[in-house]
Amino acid sequence: MSRDMCNTSKSLDSESADISDQEREVTNVIFNSKDEVNSIEDEENLFINDPNNADFDDDLENLNIANFFHKVDSDQIIYQKKKRRLKLIGKYVMGDLLGEGAYGKVKDMLDSETLCRRAVKILKQRKLRRIPNGELNVQREIKLLKKLKHKNLINLVDLLYNHEKEKMYLIMEYCVGSLQGMLDASPDKKFPQYQAHDYFLQLIDGLEYLHSMRVVHKDIKPGNLLLTLEGDLKITDLGVAETIDLFAKDDICYIGQGSPAFQPPEIANGLDCFSGFKVDIWSSGVTLYNITTGLYPFEGGTIFRLFETIGKGDFDIPNDIAEPLRSLLVGMLRKDPEMRFSLRQIRQHAWFISRPPCSSPPVPIPPLRDDALHKMTVFPYLVEHYYHDPNENSSDVQYFTEHELNEMEKSRVDSEYSNGNANQSSSKHNRRRSKKPVSCISVKNFPGCNQS
Amino acid sequence: MQTIYDAKISDYKTISILGHCFDNKAMVHLAKHLPTAELVAIKKFNLDKIREDIELVESEIILTRQLSHPNIIPYITSFVAGPEVCVVSPLMAYGSCRDLLTRHFSEGLLEPAIILILKDVLSALIYIHKKGYIHRAIRASHILVSDTGQICLTGLRYACPIIKNGKWQRAIHSFPNSTEKNLNWLSPELLQQNLQGYSEKSDIYSIGMVICELANGSEPFAGMAKTLMLTEKVRGCTPQLLDRTTVPREETIECGGDTDISANVLDRRFGRDLHELVSLCFHWDVDMRPSASQLLSHSVFKAVKKAPPLPELLKPALPLSDRVGYDTEEMENFDALAKMSQLEIFSCEWDF
Repeated sequence: MSRDMCNTSKSLDSESADISDQEREVTNVIFNSKDEVNSIEDEENLFINDPNNADFDDDLENLNIANFFHKVDSDQIIYQKKKRRLKLIGKYVMGDLLGEGAYGKVKDMLDSETLCRRAVKILKQRKLRRIPNGELNVQREIKLLKKLKHKNLINLVDLLYNHEKEKMYLIMEYCVGSLQGMLDASPDKKFPQYQAHDYFLQLIDGLEYLHSMRVVHKDIKPGNLLLTLEGDLKITDLGVAETIDLFAKDDICYIGQGSPAFQPPEIANGLDCFSGFKVDIWSSGVTLYNITTGLYPFEGGTIFRLFETIGKGDFDIPNDIAEPLRSLLVGMLRKDPEMRFSLRQIRQHAWFISRPPCSSPPVPIPPLRDDALHKMTVFPYLVEHYYHDPNENSSDVQYFTEHELNEMEKSRVDSEYSNGNANQSSSKHNRRRSKKPVSCISVKNFPGCNQS
Repeated sequence: MQTIYDAKISDYKTISILGHCFDNKAMVHLAKHLPTAELVAIKKFNLDKIREDIELVESEIILTRQLSHPNIIPYITSFVAGPEVCVVSPLMAYGSCRDLLTRHFSEGLLEPAIILILKDVLSALIYIHKKGYIHRAIRASHILVSDTGQICLTGLRYACPIIKNGKWQRAIHSFPNSTEKNLNWLSPELLQQNLQGYSEKSDIYSIGMVICELANGSEPFAGMAKTLMLTEKVRGCTPQLLDRTTVPREETIECGGDTDISANVLDRRFGRDLHELVSLCFHWDVDMRPSASQLLSHSVFKAVKKAPPLPELLKPALPLSDRVGYDTEEMENFDALAKMSQLEIFSCEWDF
């Protein structure tokens, strides 16, 4: 399926400020002459070599680097405008990228029979093998998702395999974004209390269901809480979740794999075993703290320092957080798991019971590639498929060079600066990172460490 | 209903099958209520077949029982009998508008009949919207006609509340479950499933579709790939009533291939008002699309006041009660007849 390699001019336009995209562009350099047009699988942002060569990293050692990197002028790098060719996976029509995580990409999708919008997580077995516990975690997640069904838990709608390409397609409910993405795009990195309250109630509903099914999530954080178009919260990413054995007498767990900033003192202090359910309570507490204050209760420059502060269990709550939220945070972030609130205590808490008043407008879902409405990205492919004359294709292939792209980007950035939108473009990098709703290797995602 | 209908299956004698609904997951039976000897319709949902759609059935019964309007089907009673959920409702003797189209009016109903039906459907819709619901499944098979020509709207299992957390929502975003069969009638804003969302005006778009369906004999986009239907709608393609003002005569003669359109369709002419009503319903800008009550004040409904009663306009179709008669002998005959002509009966949709 070697096809045109490039993005449309539009998506390149909006993304080329991104570091990862620049990497892609540089690594796409292969030509020495303008006559050649590059072809790389459109989904593989891989290197010059054959994308099927999985052992590329090993090969590197044997290469002479000086021979490897050529200087190529930017006007010699030629892109071909991607044709919007309709791609079907089973009965599903593939759309554009929604987000990217350590395990794979998430794309927009449309069920061609029910016309219900979906999201698909594409997992490549080749990639999974390179991640510690990758395949195991994915298998466990699929097994869990199949048996779990709740309004506040991401629903696995369908599961498709392509054995030839070693790809797995996890078709899920469509979500417009994560809480993390909304926080990152908001000025104060926090929600008004009534909005946080709405999400927190749904989080507790979902968590209660998970715990009732003897599942410990272990990685509750704003990045793993997605929102549907309707505003329903969906807990996602059960990659490190653990099921308590049916005959176990308590909820003892032995391994903690979640994101460091959200880990409880018992894990930070390296305890051999700990109560699983109380881990989720703690990380829900950190999540609530984070979405209501815009801060983290515990911070540290390194994991070591972070775990040191978490291990002590001392934290401050900003003065503008009044009762009853204050005591709920204190209850959920008690160092001693025994003393920490249970789900029932949370439900009975005053802040949980009464809805805070609507104080300010809610934090909106940030636009995706400048589209505030998050329109179906499948649609242009359908238009192309149904209305484009296939005979015309050969003549109107568009080419443009790296140089031209850079110029376009430059003029775009210039105009943005002159319009006083400098802040927006500088935050672009952060915003894009936050759009990754899938992250299974949580150590890579380490929000608490970046700040001090 | 003055008579008391008990919620027990032994009170009802099933006479024959009227048809199926809900993707063949439910059967509608003609039955006699033994204590009163009155004919009723019983819809039976087999719980083994509906499985996860049980919530739809549940919400339909709850919602229908909460509503009370002359143009919305009342549920007399509902109960569980064996593996089935049974819902008893009055017999709508002409069946659904879809049945009428299939059996007698394959090229569409007469204009006055369309307007009379529409008038009642709009009254029902005003009521439903006022109660804070969006119907989301307005289509001919959900419009039933009684022996007197009374129109009843049904199919409330796809309805969704506009009110959430005690607040009237400006936009709804939920995509209806198991809605495959209704897709052709749904508005572009509902089908697009983005943050814009949709409102009760989505039902008005479906009204436009129903007018076309009743007038043309089949709904626009019928038989088309769902994805193409979506593309057409989102690109702003608006269906039309087929008559001599909209179907160019010369073209069809020259092409010769368009044998679908008969001379009858080419000769007829719907009123300008009705054409206008259809285009109003399909207004792309949701704010410009009229509400149900605005539609009902359209001049098209004034002209129809002098029209003959609906049963006259529906001839040669006859209500079921006339066909069956009330005496038991004939009823038993009918049972046998029904078995023989099951093919025909199965082809119609009786969706109570």
